[in-house]
Amino acid sequence: MEKLGTFILNLYPTTKFLFAVFLMITPLLLPGYLYSYLVPVLCLIIAIIAGKTKLYVDIVFKGLLSIVFMIFLLQSFFYPGDTILWSWKIFSIRQEGIDFSVQLTSKILAVGSAIVLFFQITKINDLARSLEILGVSPKATYVLSSALNIIPEMRTHLLRIMDAQKTRGVETEGNLRIRLKAFFPALTPLILSSFSSTDEKAITLESRAFTARTKKTSLHQLEKTKSDSVVRVLLLILFVFILIWRFFL
Amino acid sequence: MKGIKKDFTLFAILLIPIGVAVNVVAGELVELLKIPLFLNQIGTMIVAMVAGPWVGAITGGVSKLIFGIFNPTQLAFMPVAMASGIVVGLLAKKGMTTKVWKVAITGFIVAIVAILIATPTTVIVFGGASGTGSDALTAIVLASGKEIWTAVVTQKIFVESIDKILSIFVAYMIVRKMSDQYLSKQNYGHLYIKNKTIAS
Repeated sequence: MEKLGTFILNLYPTTKFLFAVFLMITPLLLPGYLYSYLVPVLCLIIAIIAGKTKLYVDIVFKGLLSIVFMIFLLQSFFYPGDTILWSWKIFSIRQEGIDFSVQLTSKILAVGSAIVLFFQITKINDLARSLEILGVSPKATYVLSSALNIIPEMRTHLLRIMDAQKTRGVETEGNLRIRLKAFFPALTPLILSSFSSTDEKAITLESRAFTARTKKTSLHQLEKTKSDSVVRVLLLILFVFILIWRFFL
Repeated sequence: MKGIKKDFTLFAILLIPIGVAVNVVAGELVELLKIPLFLNQIGTMIVAMVAGPWVGAITGGVSKLIFGIFNPTQLAFMPVAMASGIVVGLLAKKGMTTKVWKVAITGFIVAIVAILIATPTTVIVFGGASGTGSDALTAIVLASGKEIWTAVVTQKIFVESIDKILSIFVAYMIVRKMSDQYLSKQNYGHLYIKNKTIAS
């Protein structure tokens, strides 16, 4: 189990990406919804093996289930159709709406959970490095990894500013107007101080030849292994098999 | 093409991750204060105002990518964020973000563009749902016998216009507070410099 987990986590980022794309495209190719509903389950199993169960479950529940629930609610009541299953006063649930919701939510869940899984088993820094190796400009990958590094730093800064403002007498609880008014004194200092830090960042990066037009070396090493080729070939075979089954048989 | 490349100076590139982080943290602050809005494109708008439309578009796109890590449905709205950046940037270049009444007009235009792009996405990809409290509004309009498109447009008009107009005003207030010395280093910072002898 643990061995399998490290096997998954040690795959090359683009291999993981291809796997995620595979999980996203096949539900759209295959008819029906049974397979689509299996994808989140499959992702859950992989997340368990990779030891990312909690994060995966959290994000799927918070991000996807609320929208899936709302789709069912909106569509089953208001989708045009004649087969009424249940009704109360002017509201009625129709079979057509349920069918439509099942179809739509199955695809959303499949694509969504594949994305969640991909970001949980892939480190953004690894992804950035693999993109660089593919020929993406280091400036683009810097933007991606830098943004992720700044966020936690800015979060603690925000809490510090909010504490300071509370001490000063800014209220953060109460009715909507009070809370809305608390938004600006917390945000303005945060944004201004973060933006003004670009000066030093520019000097630091420039002193490390960030904009120099030469080939850059990296301390971050990534290697493709035999298992990557195995996974890629397996995915390709499966994909071709599905295509043939879907369109020629 | 050359104009786009010219916008991406080192300074402008450094603004992108900060704009993205501002979007994310402001979005979290809104949740923390339980304000029923998103306000998660303020960073995009600031960057678009001082560094141009294309840098703004990238900021919007990358922030949706980062939002997508924690909530994949957000990825579908990447075009909306990118368009907001482009629209704010283009109007800012024309000097439409230098006075309060001009900012209000810009806010309206951004809101309209956002509604035009977000509505088809919501209807086609998510069957009209957005997974937030504002879905109640969609449901009410649907219950009154209207079609799904009308319902979603109504919901978007309410949510997006308040959100985008408020966001651009916050962005404008913050840009106004930036120092002349800082603004002078930005591609389009000269539009907001108070001491006009420096600007010329």
